[in-house]
Amino acid sequence: MLPVATLDQPALWPLTAIVFLPALVAALLSLPIVSKGREEAIRWITLLTTAVVFVLSLWMAWPTLFGAVGPAQFRVGEAGMQAMVKQPWIPAFNIEYLLGVDGISMPLVVLTTFLSMLAAAASWPITKHVKAYHVLFLLLETGMLGVFVSLDFFLFYVFWEVMLLPMYFLIGIWGGPRREYAAIKFFLYTLLGSVLMLLAILMLYFTGDLRDLSAEQLVAAHVVSPVLDAAAQADAVAAIKTATSPVHTFNLLALAQLGQLPESPFAAVNLWGLSLETWAFLLLLVGFVIKVPVVPVHTWLPDAHVEAPTPISMILAGVLLKLGGYGILRICYPICPGAGLALAWLVCGLGVVSMVYGAFAALAQKDFKRMVAYSSVSHMGYVMLGLGVWSAVAGNEFRWDAWAQGVNGAMFQMLAHGISSAGMFFMVGVLYDRVHHRNLEEFGGIFNRMPVYSGLAVAIFFAGLGLPGLCGFIGEVLVTLSSWNYSRVLAVISAFTVILTAAYILWAIQRVYLGAEYKGPHGDHLTPITGRELAIATPLVFLAILFGVAPQTLFNYVTPTVNRQVETLAEWTRTVKPDAPAAQPPLAADATARR
Amino acid sequence: MDPASQLPMLLGLAWLAPLASFLAILFFGPRMGSHGRNAAWVATAAIVTSLVLSLAAFVTWLGVHPVQAAAHGGHAAAHASDHADAAAAEQDDAGAHADAAVHGGHAEVPAHYAGDWYTLYEGGRLRLSIGWYVDALTVLMFVVVTFIATCIHVYASGYMHDELHDVTDHEVHLAGGGHLHRPGRFPRFFQALSLFCFSMLGIVIAGNLAMVFIFWELVGICSWFLIGFYYERTSASTAANKAFIVNRVGDFGMLIGLMALWGALGTLQFADAQVAGPDGSVVTTPGLFSLVRPAAGGHALQVPDGMVTFAAADEVARIAADHAGNPADAASEVASRISDWRAIGLGHWLLVVAGLGIFCGCVGKSAQFPLFVWLPDAMEGPTPVSALVHSATMVAAGVYLVGRFFPVLTPEVLLVIAYAGAITLFIAATIALVANDIKRVLAYSTVSQLGYMMLALGVGGWVAGLFHLVTHAFFKSLLFLCSGSVIHACHTNDMRKMGGLARVMPYTAGTMLVGCLAIIGAGVPFVIGLSGYYSKDSILAQALCFSQANPRHAILFWAVAGGAFLTAFYMFRLWFMTFAGQPRDHHIADHAHESPNVMVTPLVTLAVLAVVAGWTLPGGFGIANLLEQARPAGTAEGFAAAGITIPAEHLSHGEPFHTIATWTAFGTALAGVLLAAAMYVWRSISPAAVAAVFRPLYAFLAGRWYFDELYDALFVKPVLGIASLASGVDRGIIDRIIDGVAWTARQLAGIDAWIDRTLVDGLVNATANATWNAGLELKKLQTGRLRQYVMFIVVGTVALYVLASMLLSSSLAG
Amino acid sequence: MQPSLSPLVASLLTEPVGVTHYLVVGAILFTAGVACMAVKRNALGVLMGIELVLNGANVNFVAFASPYLQAEGGKSLGLDGQAIALFVILLAAAEAAVALAITLNFYNNHATVDVDRADDLKG
Repeated sequence: MLPVATLDQPALWPLTAIVFLPALVAALLSLPIVSKGREEAIRWITLLTTAVVFVLSLWMAWPTLFGAVGPAQFRVGEAGMQAMVKQPWIPAFNIEYLLGVDGISMPLVVLTTFLSMLAAAASWPITKHVKAYHVLFLLLETGMLGVFVSLDFFLFYVFWEVMLLPMYFLIGIWGGPRREYAAIKFFLYTLLGSVLMLLAILMLYFTGDLRDLSAEQLVAAHVVSPVLDAAAQADAVAAIKTATSPVHTFNLLALAQLGQLPESPFAAVNLWGLSLETWAFLLLLVGFVIKVPVVPVHTWLPDAHVEAPTPISMILAGVLLKLGGYGILRICYPICPGAGLALAWLVCGLGVVSMVYGAFAALAQKDFKRMVAYSSVSHMGYVMLGLGVWSAVAGNEFRWDAWAQGVNGAMFQMLAHGISSAGMFFMVGVLYDRVHHRNLEEFGGIFNRMPVYSGLAVAIFFAGLGLPGLCGFIGEVLVTLSSWNYSRVLAVISAFTVILTAAYILWAIQRVYLGAEYKGPHGDHLTPITGRELAIATPLVFLAILFGVAPQTLFNYVTPTVNRQVETLAEWTRTVKPDAPAAQPPLAADATARR
Repeated sequence: MDPASQLPMLLGLAWLAPLASFLAILFFGPRMGSHGRNAAWVATAAIVTSLVLSLAAFVTWLGVHPVQAAAHGGHAAAHASDHADAAAAEQDDAGAHADAAVHGGHAEVPAHYAGDWYTLYEGGRLRLSIGWYVDALTVLMFVVVTFIATCIHVYASGYMHDELHDVTDHEVHLAGGGHLHRPGRFPRFFQALSLFCFSMLGIVIAGNLAMVFIFWELVGICSWFLIGFYYERTSASTAANKAFIVNRVGDFGMLIGLMALWGALGTLQFADAQVAGPDGSVVTTPGLFSLVRPAAGGHALQVPDGMVTFAAADEVARIAADHAGNPADAASEVASRISDWRAIGLGHWLLVVAGLGIFCGCVGKSAQFPLFVWLPDAMEGPTPVSALVHSATMVAAGVYLVGRFFPVLTPEVLLVIAYAGAITLFIAATIALVANDIKRVLAYSTVSQLGYMMLALGVGGWVAGLFHLVTHAFFKSLLFLCSGSVIHACHTNDMRKMGGLARVMPYTAGTMLVGCLAIIGAGVPFVIGLSGYYSKDSILAQALCFSQANPRHAILFWAVAGGAFLTAFYMFRLWFMTFAGQPRDHHIADHAHESPNVMVTPLVTLAVLAVVAGWTLPGGFGIANLLEQARPAGTAEGFAAAGITIPAEHLSHGEPFHTIATWTAFGTALAGVLLAAAMYVWRSISPAAVAAVFRPLYAFLAGRWYFDELYDALFVKPVLGIASLASGVDRGIIDRIIDGVAWTARQLAGIDAWIDRTLVDGLVNATANATWNAGLELKKLQTGRLRQYVMFIVVGTVALYVLASMLLSSSLAG
Repeated sequence: MQPSLSPLVASLLTEPVGVTHYLVVGAILFTAGVACMAVKRNALGVLMGIELVLNGANVNFVAFASPYLQAEGGKSLGLDGQAIALFVILLAAAEAAVALAITLNFYNNHATVDVDRADDLKG
């Protein structure tokens, strides 16, 4: 039934399995033959499924672990898209089932499968509607993975929406006392974002015209499958080139090619005084930054986190927030480089505001989980700043290494934050499961009551603090160092954040773990960490240390792709926008010197 | 023997040994003997290994670069480095430098070995790595740190024996009354101590600033662990947090410095590095030192190209626009303009910012004004920690870094450093005058002495500052260990409850006297003295030299001289109050006892070193001359800019500075000791009376200049205020807006529902009602009476008939 | 005959017996029946009126069905008319049976057969 080209797409089944296996199991679990009462079995099936998906993704991402590199597996160190899957889906609108991974998405996929596995293990304390919970949980995993691997904008959007609904229910049903408020807030915020995104998708779809691309670009973007033989490729190209009406596309790679043309079709159209490119960039940016989230569209996050059950908080902080950063990196910048260059100050500014604002807000929280949630806002600010430092302009002789460093740092920060924030939320959850409160003022002395747990928790919190040797440090320092070349003011403010970060994390540690005695209720429930909890916490701490001392485990994946994208865009700046203004005005001292 | 590979290996292993010990204790600590008793042995064995390896490296170094006698006049440096170059030239290795001397005999790069072990990040021309930079200073610091650490490990294994069994902490009052009872934490202490040693050695061996920053933070967190060792005490955990956060303030500045260097130069390496070029050839990438002081310019300070172009970004952009399409032309045009731009001073501020930023980090770590407030509170930690971390090594890291980074510092920055040091030494010394907690006196003394070192570096006394760093490390750790011994015996920190302890604790009293004499720089003028005598004299001499060269800044010399007097007074006040006279509290004095041998042995060892560390042996071997080997290129002859002259250090060894400095030091120290004796031994001046006379001043000093209160009001409260403001904005404004939007939407929905109910539904209902009413009306027609029905039918039929016929006829007619 | 008689009546009296005469008889029967239904209060009287109405109609049917009566060349219904008349008779019988049963019941319930009192089915 599948077209013949399937034979030349070795990644079809592995990638499809990674994405859809959770959904398949969710469908099976939801059948009435699965009795609601068999909760233990449902939990184990879910855990097993997520574990299988994790192993599958690891098999793809780290081939050497499983022996020789197969054709479907990821070749570490290559910059381009790999493991491409291309099947027609809705041919009338050129919508395709187009999947693929590169150095940006592969680590995020593994992070997702890994955290899903841990979150499934952390779901044991869930006792309400166990079956429904796990069905939704698996659906959520499919949605998240689909977003990371889909290269068709329409498919991307579908997965994006698929992810929202289970999350809404998971917060709204299994959450804390104000769960309904939090769930609706989450849903409205993210729905607003997706609506704007949909608008941008349609704008880009109807403006783009594949006939503007050369044959090589069409093949490179997989509009014309490179697995076809030369004659078939030529036919397909000719079919596009000779079409009498514009050929629209949802292909993200092709849209990026179009956006980076010297005469970008998106920049040519003007709407209410701004180019369509700018509109699309802004709409997409709003859609993505709500997910990141940045100030001032961040207030769904504390509520959602506080109300969500622990495993969902882990997923929310560990994976969902990354979708925003991923979207900006994968979609906003390559497709709308002109707007990206012009609005880099906006991206950086939002990032810095989030960093400082989130840190200040975290300092003021009385609720442990809320504090961790605000720390996420602050930490994701680094991601925004790193993504935005478009320093490859004329005044900088179009040198792209500082920008590449920023983007690499942002990617690293995303992955590291995935580990540390999931860990932090889990650590809070462990306490909450025992004493059923999160008031920072009513803890204390936990170190003496639960020494192993406290040791692991402090390690994870230090990773959040950005201590060298732990994962938080590398991303922060790379981003901060890179930002100087873009804007000195932002760089100084971002450096200032390290003080606040230290303050709120150490203060929280002091109030919770240190001290002589526990001050809250249910003190007798503070039992030592269980084996299951240890099995979740230890890998997180291990990875936090591993990424801290051996960051190249991640950079091996990330850097080639990021560097190529940044280099491409720097070259684009040189050829298309050589007169882009210098990022920052000369300092007063230099101005004086010149006079 | 190949020092270029041997030295990094030896020092690298010496660096990693404590890490191994840390990991071992982390995982197996509690299982090492009963209550982890053997953890002390593991940690001590590790640090002894480090010491042995460091000594081996030291010997190796001396084998290649023998220390020459220093003739006054500064040619020692030249000789030493001549020799170093000769030796280095034999190695064809990447690390060793053999740059041809360009500018006489003084302008050579000091002998050093540099390289990288490990890369953290590499992208474009930017690279963050873990590497080494080994010169005489590194080797010396390794020996000093590992030696003191060894002594303190041995001492601590005795001092911390309380932690071997369950502990009742009398300083913690539980809510339910009574004191905290907890298991001992003996292994945890040594675990943190090992991690600290690893981190500290990491700073010392670091080959680039990024690595310094990494280990900078790590020593910070070790310090946090160690200050907060008694974490049940609120005061301890608060002090730990305070230390770390205040240090982070300094690190904030340091980050800015790093950014200024990194953003413009793209490297944080100290030394040049040889890397394989694209075509297989070996390319030398310049490090910070040769960028700022290029060999081509005779190692004179200049703004590096990268900073110049960074500052001239708008010009560069204009050139790029002129040469659009031809990047090579643009690049060469930029290159040709650099010297012009440099001439008008572009980028100079960037170098200043970099220097100030790095110094800012040092201000935090070395507890300089205005960030010195954390160090006295850090005395909440166990005394061995105070001795190792908060006096001898970690806090000296800031001074070490200023010394290491010295070639990049501009005269303006050095002046700031000098003034920061002067202010610090004065403030800290005045507070130490009135402190009564024995450890706090020592803490303020530490701050004050660090101020000395900073000042020395700031006025160009590179060797003097670092020399004092080394000698101070010995005698200050000695003093702290002695105070620990006293506290161990008396179970109190309050000097007002001590007195007359010399009789019961002869070793402690004797070694502490040695320490006090060393810190005040006691000696027979021009003949011989304790270690402090030499280092302090050279600082005084250099300060004097600087004051002569820059008369506007003469106050720096007076600060040093005044500080020397204050130091002598408060140190001997401490000694006299503790050991001399009669016991003030007989209960304490009767129970006091000399400490066990395991604690006394380190005291004696350190006391010996406190005496001899400053000596220069016949033939020239001595720490000062060893340091001369590492003097940064281009700094020996002094330099000047922006109206500030940094005098050459060898001038201060000559006359008249040397003589004046020696007599000043001797005089001030003697005066301080005599005043202390007059007040606390002979009682000819009553301290209470003096305090009464200067009551406001006394209160001001006893209140520590109210810095804590000031910072609380200036920074802590506003930050917390902003924090709650931010949180309030979230809840009060953003959420209000969101909720308001939601509320508005609900209201709109309500209006919509009302329209539905009233208008749309109303229409439908009206139709229904009309039909209903019509039915009601029509119903009346249905009377149920047959005869009426018949009539209806008939009438109806007739009517229809008539109607039809009328219509029919009219239509026919029409 | 008096001159006040209408021409129709005059022609009826002069013409030989044809359809028209039958129709007139039927109409008279019908009208009498309707009048009976309308004015009689006794249910049985009403029933009788119904019978008259039905039979008036029957006369018409029969008249239209007879070829002899269609001398003027009009088309006769043929046997259909006879058949319909038979159906009507049958229906009338059935109707009378049901109606009498209702009347009897009504009498049992109300002790009267006055149709003006029988308004139970009013709206």
